[in-house]
Amino acid sequence: MKDTLDLVHRFNAHPDSRCWFVAWNPRGTLLASCGGDRAIRIWGKEGDSWECKCVLSDGHQRTVRKVAWSPCGNYLASASFDATTCIWKKNNNDFESLTVLEGHENEVKCVAWAPSGNLLATCSRDKSVWVWEVDEEDEYECVSVVNSHTQDVKHVVWHPTQELLASASYDNTVCIYKEEDDDWEVRATLEGHTSTVWSLAFDPNGQRLASCSDDRTVKIWKECQPGDGDSAEGTWKCVCTLSGFHDRTIYDIAWCRLTGALATACGDDGVRIFKEDATSDPDQPIFSLSAHVPRAHSQDINCVAWHPKEAGLLATCSDNGEIGIWKYKSEE
Amino acid sequence: MASVSESDDLFDCILMADDRFHVEGYREGYEEGTREGLLEGRNHGMVHGARLSAELSFYHGFAVTWKYLLQTNVDAKSKKRLKAVESLIGLISKFPFEDSQYENLQEDTERVRAKFRQVCSLLNVTADFRDYVSGSATMSF
Repeated sequence: MKDTLDLVHRFNAHPDSRCWFVAWNPRGTLLASCGGDRAIRIWGKEGDSWECKCVLSDGHQRTVRKVAWSPCGNYLASASFDATTCIWKKNNNDFESLTVLEGHENEVKCVAWAPSGNLLATCSRDKSVWVWEVDEEDEYECVSVVNSHTQDVKHVVWHPTQELLASASYDNTVCIYKEEDDDWEVRATLEGHTSTVWSLAFDPNGQRLASCSDDRTVKIWKECQPGDGDSAEGTWKCVCTLSGFHDRTIYDIAWCRLTGALATACGDDGVRIFKEDATSDPDQPIFSLSAHVPRAHSQDINCVAWHPKEAGLLATCSDNGEIGIWKYKSEE
Repeated sequence: MASVSESDDLFDCILMADDRFHVEGYREGYEEGTREGLLEGRNHGMVHGARLSAELSFYHGFAVTWKYLLQTNVDAKSKKRLKAVESLIGLISKFPFEDSQYENLQEDTERVRAKFRQVCSLLNVTADFRDYVSGSATMSF
């Protein structure tokens, strides 16, 4: 471990509450956070410190579990335990609630925009994944409901370039979806984790998917290409398992678009960075732990998010309500 | 020699009684169990089959009504809604109601339920089968 991960800033984002998730806007100028205090906060850097630019506190009745920026950066979606998803529109420095998406029976666990910005996916404890379509008039319509998991669905993520969706669940599996005849259908079910899969991240070009789990491992999955021997196209196989590095549940994983580094958020309060061995076989990649901050926060770390423009800048957030901003330096 | 043989049988009779009654008891119990199990299974199947049919018929009635209401509208939104409603009708009409051994029953039921929820969302109506039939909230297989 010759690389370093240094703390740049630490601030209390959701006092006396948990900070569940943080998301950078596409330009990297703003950081949105959400928490158990039912609020969404928008943070911006002012000189040397991070200032709260805006508080969106009247949208949800219960915990806000995740937030997601639209690819254009003008909209923010928030998923809440109150069974709704709110869509916020950015007007200069303020946000207005545009619409509320209802339909899930209970806690909405995650929301994600497709790269085109025309589709939105949500998932819930009600075991379903919903795909919504956005039209020019900012109207949202449900295009599909998929009951593919047998338990709580924890996370949804879109492929960086294709209209391909992935979901992670308490049923220990990951599902991959594609549109087929107006409906979204499961194309592949990824089995291998022995406990809840908490989060997912595609690699920068979308060829591989990383999953992290309560079984304390990270798995890297790769889509089989035509001509990959006996495996059919559209199936995914596990090409790498990172075990023995984490002491508790791994709650989140992020794959840096700029550096290819993999960051994990762990229940042992640590943040870890993994680097891929550039010379390793793409079908049997080798990842090594390149940086580790054992007690990055005083409680569980819920999220890791790489800055979209500044290589090596990482945001984390924790059960203690704090946000940490870190700088990862890699010695090539 | 005959008397010896008789006494042998007599003793056998007594000594083996335990075993014999055990076998007989087992056979009778087995038959009784089979009969009762069959009856119980039949009732169980009947209850669940009726619940499932009621649920799917509810969706069907809902869909047919909305199809009737929407089919005269020509705007794009109604057309989209109609398409989803028709897709729901299509799923229900393909449902193998007669085949009690159908292996994808659970999967297909979930598919219909998911489509129904999407249709409800599109129509902006809140309809839940469980609100209409009490006790079916625990319906699972």
